[in-house]
Amino acid sequence: MNGWRPTAAVGRALVLGSLGLALALVAGEPGLVVLAAPFVLLAALGLAHRPRTTPAVAAALDHRTLPEGTGTTSRLTLTGAEDVEYVARSAARPPYLALRPSHGQVGRLLGADGPPDVEVGAQRWGTRMAGEEKVALYAPWAGFRVGPVHLPADPLRVLPATAPYDSRAEAPQPLGLVGANRSLRAGGGTELAGIRPFQAGDRLRRINWRVSLRTGDLHVVSTRAEEDTGVLLVVDALADQGVSDGVDGAASSMDLTVRAASAIAEHHVRRGDRVALRVIGRGAEQVGYGAGARHLRRLRDRLATVRVGDLPEAEHLSLGVTGGAVVIVLSPMLTPAVGTVAATLVRRGLSVLVVDTLPPDARPPVSAGADPQVAALAWRMRLLERSVVLDGLARLGCPVVPWRGPGTLDDVLRRLARRARQPRVVAR
Amino acid sequence: MTLDAMHRSQLALRALVLLGPVVALLATGPAGHGPPWWLVGIVTVLAAAAAVAPDSPVGAGAGLVVLGWWTLSLRDGMPVSVAVAAVALTVGHLAALLASYGPRAMPLDRPTLLLWARRGALVLLSVPGSWLLARAVRGEPEQPGLWVLALAAACVAILGATVAMDLPDREEPR
Repeated sequence: MNGWRPTAAVGRALVLGSLGLALALVAGEPGLVVLAAPFVLLAALGLAHRPRTTPAVAAALDHRTLPEGTGTTSRLTLTGAEDVEYVARSAARPPYLALRPSHGQVGRLLGADGPPDVEVGAQRWGTRMAGEEKVALYAPWAGFRVGPVHLPADPLRVLPATAPYDSRAEAPQPLGLVGANRSLRAGGGTELAGIRPFQAGDRLRRINWRVSLRTGDLHVVSTRAEEDTGVLLVVDALADQGVSDGVDGAASSMDLTVRAASAIAEHHVRRGDRVALRVIGRGAEQVGYGAGARHLRRLRDRLATVRVGDLPEAEHLSLGVTGGAVVIVLSPMLTPAVGTVAATLVRRGLSVLVVDTLPPDARPPVSAGADPQVAALAWRMRLLERSVVLDGLARLGCPVVPWRGPGTLDDVLRRLARRARQPRVVAR
Repeated sequence: MTLDAMHRSQLALRALVLLGPVVALLATGPAGHGPPWWLVGIVTVLAAAAAVAPDSPVGAGAGLVVLGWWTLSLRDGMPVSVAVAAVALTVGHLAALLASYGPRAMPLDRPTLLLWARRGALVLLSVPGSWLLARAVRGEPEQPGLWVLALAAACVAILGATVAMDLPDREEPR
């Protein structure tokens, strides 16, 4: 760290004071002393308060992980600050981070409250570099200054906000062990499957006495087993379409995708289902099947680090889908490869549904020098190709629904559940 | 950075930085030595540069031009307007000091402004005293011994200040 250095103000006071006095002496004009006297005093007071100790500055964020739309505080720690009178902080403004007060530009006299804090608000999911700033410390009478000292940024992981989402639809193919979804097979659940004659091994508490007395034979209530299901979330991170203005503003396709994936994952994890994640994108992030709060945290952590871009050269578009899983593809469906993957899974007999996350007002970025009319025409052609892909998926029996929050998937999940109980031909 | 991005307190301080030297220069007018337009222009440009960058040495340049013109203007007497000029120069200097505390978007808080208002008032108490002293000395016959002593004291003070500014810190940096 730099030590104390004289400020420009004390230098200016020295120059004006000393040259004012010198001019008064040389010209024999005592009136100039009137002009020079305040500067002589200011310079003398500034120099008289020369600091004795060199302070050390450090800043730290209260939290390293935040949900989108919340905030934390960047606190400054000063040691050896006995001679410090004023502290000025000037924080850098990274994208999608809001700083208060005064956009991170804050100064205060150093009193009992300590140095001023800067509040950092996370406005968009992802990994943000927060806390980069410059700090200057001033001695009394502003004669000496430390800094500006550059403090580096710290990574701040911003978890995606959970979009409002709830669903009462049952899973199409529950094949797990213990869960909340009504299974096709009979078992010890609570959902009524029917009433049948008593068999050896049936529990006595399941006897339906009304039917037994009416028919003269013992009858029992049979129920369906309740099982968990595997939900595979496929996130298309090949490109980000539209403009993102943070959690309270316009949402891009990646915003919708990541927030929807977070919401669906939370919903299914809370129901006891096993949820996995595959990202089709530059980072090819993936999380295996799992359940529980810790797994949900792992999923949201991974969603927060999704990198947008094409797949690596060596990376194949393999999702590793297991039988019985429900595959939810979250994509703006502008890449034919994603449509091909969904169609392949549908042909394998899996329950696949596509959540369309293309914002209605999305427009492609037009590079400088490009003809806007040509760009608009190209975009229209792209949308036409997309509609062809979506129609093809619908013909295959893969529902495509735009993301609209609560109840988005209810209808299609119910239809998939009904269809799962019917016999069908599966391509292998 | 545009003016919109500048905080109001910074705008006010920089206005004072601009006006201080100009008012101090124009204060020679009542003494019968109004500055030529080109000199006002020079001081205005220098003061404007100091208002844009209050941490730069340009502000001292504007003050020196004002001191030079006052040296020529004081030959005919000891007007009260020299005290006005001293106040204007000091206010401009203190405004530059406060403006240089941080970047342009940083607001100056009320306690800091009040503290420096008190300090400024304290420092400006020297103006009427030195004006009365200068007026008393001005009519007296030449006293070479007194002037040499004052010159020597001023030189020693400047030398001491320079040495003090260049001294290394007593403690090693942590």
